[in-house]
Amino acid sequence: MSEQTGKQLSKEEKDARFEAELLPVLDPLYNFAYRLTLDEDDANDLVQETYLKAYRFFDYFEQGTNAKAWLFRILKNSFINEFRKKSKQPAKVDYSEVEGYYNSDDVEGEGGVASTTDMRTESVQDLIGDEVASALNALPVDFRTVIILCDLEGFTYEEMAKILDIPIGTVRSRLHRARNSLKEKLEKYAKSMGYNS
Amino acid sequence: MESRFTETHQKLSDDGHESECDKIVKLLDLMIDGEASTEEQSYFNTHIEECVPCFESHQKQKLLKGLVCGHLKRVIVPESLALSIKARIQETV
Repeated sequence: MSEQTGKQLSKEEKDARFEAELLPVLDPLYNFAYRLTLDEDDANDLVQETYLKAYRFFDYFEQGTNAKAWLFRILKNSFINEFRKKSKQPAKVDYSEVEGYYNSDDVEGEGGVASTTDMRTESVQDLIGDEVASALNALPVDFRTVIILCDLEGFTYEEMAKILDIPIGTVRSRLHRARNSLKEKLEKYAKSMGYNS
Repeated sequence: MESRFTETHQKLSDDGHESECDKIVKLLDLMIDGEASTEEQSYFNTHIEECVPCFESHQKQKLLKGLVCGHLKRVIVPESLALSIKARIQETV
């Protein structure tokens, strides 16, 4: 409890604590930045800026509290303040190129199932993933954001409300509209592939 | 533009009050996100046991969430990023 107040730490101690508490969030944070900016360089800059801001305000961060939500909040604010004006795309992006590499560990994680999976199934998985990505990327950024926070990162409504600075009721209605919109886009795709939903 | 999905479920019952199905539609997100209260959960589950359209809506909503969390590829963090963050922090006084 009375471990430290933060302000008396030496630079080395502070740096070590910072890295231990906040760097594990790097992967989800970078993915969030990428989904917001749709550009790897911008995502890179945004994440660096987020960590530098977090470092400046680290004395105010209470150890053991939700580091992930805190960093996501900083990143989202930086994005709104600086990046949003600058990058007015969704420009045409070749998603198959940008997302050509992905974490195959996730796919193969389920007890060696992957070794027996045939190639056709894997390419169908890829195809679905590409389609979900382009449907998601075509959504307005506010819609994209709530879906990523909720479905990809598993934040609760309450955490989302804090990250986005909006009431929980707004989180709910925005999520609902975002999902309807995503559903519409994916249904169109399903129809074009000859499936009736 | 509202999706057809919503429209089909937004019909009010004859007396103009919210029908049970309307209430269920409002609970769909809460259910799939694990945010529904115990009372909401049992109300929801009792209803979808008997109502096929609502049961199907629930299946669809779960599928949609599953598509995002199960199929969206994660991008790989460039190796240099963690290093440059550490370097820039060490420079910071």
